[in-house]
Amino acid sequence: MNSASPLIQLRSVSKSYWKGTESIEAIAELDLELPEKGMVAIVGPSGSGKSTLLHLIGAMDRPTRGEVVVAGQVVNRLSQADLTHFRRQTVGFVFQTFNLIQNLTALENVALPMEFNGVGKSERTKRAKALLERFQLGHRLKHRPNELSGGEMQRVAIARAIANEPRLVLADEPTGNLDSRSGQMIYERLHEISRDRTVLVVTHAEDLARLADRVIHIRDGRLAQAEGSEADRHRPHAANFPQ
Amino acid sequence: MGMVILGLRNLLRNKLRLVLVAILIGIPFFLLLAMYSIGDAMQRQTAVLAENVNTVLQLRARGSMGHVNMVGQDRILPQHVLEKVRGIEHVEHVEPYLLAMAPITPPNFVMHVGLAPTAVKRLESHGEAGNPRIIAGRDFTPEDAGQAVAIIGQGYADWAGIKAEDVGKATLTVDPTRTHPAIFQMDRPTRELRIIGMYASGYVFGDLQLFMPINTFRSIYGTGEGISWLFVKVDSVDSISLVAQRLRETVRDVADILVPEHAAVFTATTSRTVTQISGAGGLLAIVLMVTVVFFVLLMAVRERAREIGTLKAIGASNGGVTVQFLTKAVALSLLGGALGLLLFRAVGSLLTGRLFALGIGPFLPSHYKPLFESLAVGNQVSASVLLLAFVVAVLAAVIGGSYGVWLALTLSPLEAMKHE
Repeated sequence: MNSASPLIQLRSVSKSYWKGTESIEAIAELDLELPEKGMVAIVGPSGSGKSTLLHLIGAMDRPTRGEVVVAGQVVNRLSQADLTHFRRQTVGFVFQTFNLIQNLTALENVALPMEFNGVGKSERTKRAKALLERFQLGHRLKHRPNELSGGEMQRVAIARAIANEPRLVLADEPTGNLDSRSGQMIYERLHEISRDRTVLVVTHAEDLARLADRVIHIRDGRLAQAEGSEADRHRPHAANFPQ
Repeated sequence: MGMVILGLRNLLRNKLRLVLVAILIGIPFFLLLAMYSIGDAMQRQTAVLAENVNTVLQLRARGSMGHVNMVGQDRILPQHVLEKVRGIEHVEHVEPYLLAMAPITPPNFVMHVGLAPTAVKRLESHGEAGNPRIIAGRDFTPEDAGQAVAIIGQGYADWAGIKAEDVGKATLTVDPTRTHPAIFQMDRPTRELRIIGMYASGYVFGDLQLFMPINTFRSIYGTGEGISWLFVKVDSVDSISLVAQRLRETVRDVADILVPEHAAVFTATTSRTVTQISGAGGLLAIVLMVTVVFFVLLMAVRERAREIGTLKAIGASNGGVTVQFLTKAVALSLLGGALGLLLFRAVGSLLTGRLFALGIGPFLPSHYKPLFESLAVGNQVSASVLLLAFVVAVLAAVIGGSYGVWLALTLSPLEAMKHE
């Protein structure tokens, strides 16, 4: 991947919803480019459109107008089959409520996206086990979600998100349901995986957002400001981000 | 860990609900088997009865008894009727009879019957007796055709002084010139017939008859052509009405046709009624199964909308989601089916009998009810029925589950996750 070409490009993207007879513009004529690798925090008040932005980039929703280009693909024009392919290979999701499959073990949860991607059983088991061990969950392989703590569940979710080695991980309020200690740990993990990919995090937690390589402020569906964080200067890949 | 296994694991999430759903599917499945069983038992019962009911139509010259020498009743059917009737569809075979009366004292007269040696010996009666049973000597063989031989009723033999031990040696002289107030004289020579067999019928007039080969009868009475009576055996009770109609078209006003209407009505009403009721019951059972699967799957999709959204977000295809939900639906349906089958094997005979008495019996024509009071409804399930039940269960799952699957497929990952 040429580091000069952005991983994510949003061109005049708008997203409107109908609430009864009233049209609400969640994202308004937004232009944004984000490069390959690094951690980007999207912050803003509730209802500012930050989650909508994440969903548009992750092809979980389609813009009303404009184009969303991720890894060279115009995701809002992809067919259903191509969208499935895109979700398997290009993007990984981390949700606020973890969204693990309740009747699968931690190991099976992490192996599932690889199964969808056609990875053989022994290979995916090996890789899922390695990922969980990397996140200090080697002793929880056979545990089901209801037997794990919130922090552990979110670490399983992060492992699942990077199982197919996607170039982009989208995390929607990943610490929203965690205590501050667990939240800190999750941010560290997200930082860790952002060395090899772009990690886009939606958060309310300004203190955690400051750890990101870049912070995007969003208000009323528009960019309020985009800036490098305090940590930028200490990261090897910080130079990838426009200042 | 395929989507099939995931679908199966989802079954076990709520065990109490699983049991309830299995029972809800199992009961209509039991009903389906019960309806099949009742229909099957009724078909067997009616088949047995149909074999034993009369499927023989009788033709006589219009307005005549057809006896060749009975005063005022001597008109017989022309010979060509025989060939025409043989050509009618569903006619299994025809048996021409020739009848003459002969005077005795007492009790006035006996009956001489000419028939093909292989024909059923039907007594000139009013239906009180069964067919004659040989009690001495032998029955006719095809070789007896045209021979001067006869089989005599025990009453007639008693009058003629022929004992059972004389059969085979004894003879009887037939004299067409002898008369009676109801019998006119036929100017024909006498003929001596050797008695080769003696029969008993169980009633007085039935035992006063003499059977002889039809060609022998023709030569004795000089009846070169024509038939007194023509018995028409139809291939099944279902065909009686049709054959009767064809006969009327064929012989027009030449003959009276005696139709065993009872047998035709029997088929047209009883077996059809039962088939329709058990069929409707079976259909209702299938609809119930489909309905249960429909609501269970609908509930599953609503409850698991977030999980469906998550699966799609991490790369599950629509095919995968379909497989997962249909696996669950089919497994549920088969589980319910297995439960229904076990229930049927355990108490099928008892409950099905009661079900028949309460649900179908009241709809039968009143005069046939006694025939089915002892209906033997079994709890046996043949391999073919099992296969059919399996197919029904799978189809019920696919049809009942299709709306739920469609709902799951049309949910976008985002909508699905918002759903909760």
